[in-house]
Amino acid sequence: MKNKTFQSLTNPLAKNNPVLVQILGICSALAVTTQLKPAFVMGLSVVAVCAFSNLILSLLRNTIPDRIRIIVQLVVIATLVTLVNDVLKAYVYDVSKQLSVYVGLIITNCIIMGRVEAFALSNKPLLSLLDGIGNGLGYGAVLVIIGFFRELLGNGTLFGYQIIPECFYEAGYVNNGLMLFPPAALIIVGIIIWVHRSYNKDLQEK
Amino acid sequence: MSKKKFLGGKDSNAYIVFYSAVMVIIVAVLLAFTSLSLKERQDANVLNEKKDAIVASLGLDKGSYDQYIEAYVVNAQGEKIETEVAPLQMLFDLPASFAAGEYPVFENKESGEVVFPLTGKGLWDDIWGYVALEADMNTIKGAIFDHAGETPGLGAEIATAKFQAQFVGQTIYEGNQLVGIEVVKGGAQGAPHSVDAVTGGTKTSEGLENMIKDCIGYYDAFMKARTAAATATEDVVLTENAE
Repeated sequence: MKNKTFQSLTNPLAKNNPVLVQILGICSALAVTTQLKPAFVMGLSVVAVCAFSNLILSLLRNTIPDRIRIIVQLVVIATLVTLVNDVLKAYVYDVSKQLSVYVGLIITNCIIMGRVEAFALSNKPLLSLLDGIGNGLGYGAVLVIIGFFRELLGNGTLFGYQIIPECFYEAGYVNNGLMLFPPAALIIVGIIIWVHRSYNKDLQEK
Repeated sequence: MSKKKFLGGKDSNAYIVFYSAVMVIIVAVLLAFTSLSLKERQDANVLNEKKDAIVASLGLDKGSYDQYIEAYVVNAQGEKIETEVAPLQMLFDLPASFAAGEYPVFENKESGEVVFPLTGKGLWDDIWGYVALEADMNTIKGAIFDHAGETPGLGAEIATAKFQAQFVGQTIYEGNQLVGIEVVKGGAQGAPHSVDAVTGGTKTSEGLENMIKDCIGYYDAFMKARTAAATATEDVVLTENAE
């Protein structure tokens, strides 16, 4: 039992990573990762929404009528995202400005609804909460890795601070403009999946 | 027979209607409550940001708005007018104020430099900003731009200090003709009314150029009146010295 609880938190981080293995949430992984900071805060917001939507819907799971369960899930998720957005705007205004439209787009993130439908509706609240946190973190980790490479190679900065020294530019180094476009995110996701599978041999398709 | 279920059980229509109704009411109350209780804080954040943007365009420190700035409203003829809405509040719906022929001006009481608010359309959503002019009503002292949803790393670069620094020292008049600032790829080197556009953000750059031209255009009469007044004062001073 102890083991299962722990696994529902750690599995989504690597072995069952929502982005790398379940291939969910790719769309937003492309959109918010041109820079590291939005990628980071987006990851945190998804952790919060995923954890609470899993928890709430797991608590409600025996009362939800089957025929409207998707609608109920959507209402709960949309409510949570609106709350997160309002709180961000009131207390960390700078960050909420960084994220702009992407906070609202968490509602459409396939990971959240996917985990609710696949896990929370058939498991106990504590397990569901941990599963939500784990999946949010798994998603956030991938976002941060992509954001790291895209900002460093595309802008020469990290979190907005100049990393690549000025003398490199004087010597003829140029930022890679491709990194700022969505295809670069796909390429990086591809490389991460490649590395990830070469370490997790059981994920390789024969 | 099993015991009677509430409203005929989970899958009955009555239960579903009841369930949805309760859910919607709870959610509505919850959202309305948070929205109302956080509104004041959110508005204060937005207003502070606007004040800071205005002083930032003048190169002054954050939070010094109340110390330096005098705000008033002018009409298309450049005359000061009284309005129901305060100039700062106009920034919350600038297009409406512009459409009504009310143009807010933020003046540095000490130096005579003025800040004009700008509003326009980028690629995805609204863009806006502030442009500060030296007391000569021609040279740009500083510019601040921001956006609601331009692409990070591309169009959103208009909000970076690096992009905005290009505007400093540019002029907006060619003789007596208001020309604004061109935002072009490569930027015409050394040209007095031109800056380098954002790579990969062509549409945003075009929107920015139009925004500057349109919004500064509203203040044309005001700026000409100020320049004329300044010249007149100089003439008086010169005549006095001659005597």
